Amino acid sequence: MAAQRIPKLKTILTVAKKELTDHLRDRRTATMIFLLSIAMGPIILLGLGYFIGSIEAKAEKKEIYVVGNEYAPDLINFLQRQDMKILPPKPEFRALIKQGNHDAVMVIPADFNEKFLTGEAKVELVYDDTRQSASAASEGVLRRVLRAFNTEVATLRLMARGVSPSVLRPVEIQDTNLGTAAQRAAGVLFIIPWITLIGCVTGCTAMAVDLAAGERERGSLEPLLMTPIGRDALVMGKGVAVSIYSLGIAVLTLMGFALTLKYGNLPAIGSVLSLSAAQYGMFFLMLLTFAPAMAAIQMLLATYGRNFKEGQTYASYAITLVALIPSVAMFAQVKDATWQLFVPVLAQLMVITRLLRGETTDLIHYLLPAAINTAIFVVAMVLIARLLRQEKIIFGRA
Amino acid sequence: MIEVRNLSKSFGSVVAVDQISFTAPNGQITGLLGPNGAGKTTTIRMIGSLVEIDSGTALVDGFDVVQEPDRARRACGILTDARGLYTRLTARENIRYYAELHGIDVARSEATIARFTNWLDMASIIDRRTDGFSQGERMKVAITRALVHEPSTVILDEPTNGLDVMTTRALRELIKRLRAEGRTVMFSSHIMQEVAALCDEIIIIAKGKVCAQGPTEALLAQSGRENLEDAFVVLAGIDDETLNQAEAG
Repeated sequence: MAAQRIPKLKTILTVAKKELTDHLRDRRTATMIFLLSIAMGPIILLGLGYFIGSIEAKAEKKEIYVVGNEYAPDLINFLQRQDMKILPPKPEFRALIKQGNHDAVMVIPADFNEKFLTGEAKVELVYDDTRQSASAASEGVLRRVLRAFNTEVATLRLMARGVSPSVLRPVEIQDTNLGTAAQRAAGVLFIIPWITLIGCVTGCTAMAVDLAAGERERGSLEPLLMTPIGRDALVMGKGVAVSIYSLGIAVLTLMGFALTLKYGNLPAIGSVLSLSAAQYGMFFLMLLTFAPAMAAIQMLLATYGRNFKEGQTYASYAITLVALIPSVAMFAQVKDATWQLFVPVLAQLMVITRLLRGETTDLIHYLLPAAINTAIFVVAMVLIARLLRQEKIIFGRA
Repeated sequence: MIEVRNLSKSFGSVVAVDQISFTAPNGQITGLLGPNGAGKTTTIRMIGSLVEIDSGTALVDGFDVVQEPDRARRACGILTDARGLYTRLTARENIRYYAELHGIDVARSEATIARFTNWLDMASIIDRRTDGFSQGERMKVAITRALVHEPSTVILDEPTNGLDVMTTRALRELIKRLRAEGRTVMFSSHIMQEVAALCDEIIIIAKGKVCAQGPTEALLAQSGRENLEDAFVVLAGIDDETLNQAEAG
């Protein structure tokens, strides 16, 4: 076995330059990837802006759907005093709500009025809380007005009996919301780093696979390994090329978001959030080590593959993982904790979310993930170089 | 010069190369003749340090391929049956990439490319992307790529496989030219006429062993046959049937 040597920088750059030239010549794929990367921001932010806007509009809407108006004149009278526009729902509203196509409906039973006097009246709220759409938002409006009605009726009844209405409110609630607008926006804009990180990984998959499994399938690996450059330099050169590519995609994705936030007409989002150049710079610094780590992992997985297809299958697991980790963290309601800094993807998301929320970040937030990413890159490179010494990998034998 | 001493290689329980020894001297064309599966390619891959050697030694220009793999690799240019090119690069870019990997400056590599373009009649394809190249065109680029660092030892594994008549002739001329320049040329083949026509020395390999070695005349004398094919069958110790199978395969 050859003695371990330090690969020459010039050789690494020669390999990297060739790989980048080669892949950028695939105009169709390159154009597609670049366009998609830059389009990601506008598509997602505009979609998100519309979504948030429509929820806010629903919440402020003064229209409610009621069945059985005639059974509850007092309630209807109260609602009209609140400037509510009372509309009859479509007859098949239950099915429509189930499909997510109808606002929530209040159903007043025929015996409402007689039971109202004895304090046993009921109304039914029909909605579907499993749906993000229509009925979930309007259900809140109905609930709010009903609560207000209850309070008013109770207050009047107590006063009629000579009791102070304050017995209804032993504790007065005063709202002091410490969350800033930027923090609330960060909850949603969490999607920016997430998509950027995923873009970092998916964008370079084809290249990573081609440089590993593709090289062998094409029959160009054998002659390459017979040049005196050594496996380390070869693998490093390829790693550098894929990293640059991946980083380029991440920058494009980020640019798409930045331009949309700055120039897009996004009343729901744009007003509460704008990132400074320094914040983008910090994000880029994080990607500087994240992209190579992801590139290296995919190359390693793809090197195991006997052909392009197999390589791609293995590399796709990396993508799934990157896409999955943040959603698991979201569901599990993981709070900022130092251990997250040790987990790639989680670490980047945590630090970037802090940046988005306008919270402070320390040096360790950058150095620790960077060190871990660098370690991943180096270990993967060494492992690939080692794999390329195995005959079954070189010749693709089962 | 190539010196191989007691070289052996097994894949699992299969012995691919069994104690092979031979020398291919400078300024000579040495033919490695044997049926498919005889161990020719494995031997060549061991000399190119693509395959680990189980036992024995292989030296290229005196450099041990295990002890000094880089110097051995620099000393020899090997064309195996893996002749894949980068299809989005032109023929020239494909070759130049290898020149750069060998650390050869542009002026020198361009001169070499110009020479090979002339010899192998590549003027019309040298600046075209290699996508859609014919097998012959691909081989011409691959061989130039393998020899762009002007190695003193040239090893070609079944170079004429799948080539048309004109390309085969051009290749034969190239092989003679390389010999005239004083280089060591070794090529493997299972085609008798080709080996007989070109080689100064023939090494017959079968079942991983060297069966006979010498110039054509010596092999004919040794076997007592009139043509190389018959001599090969006798010396390789195989019957006609296996030979036919091997050739068909």
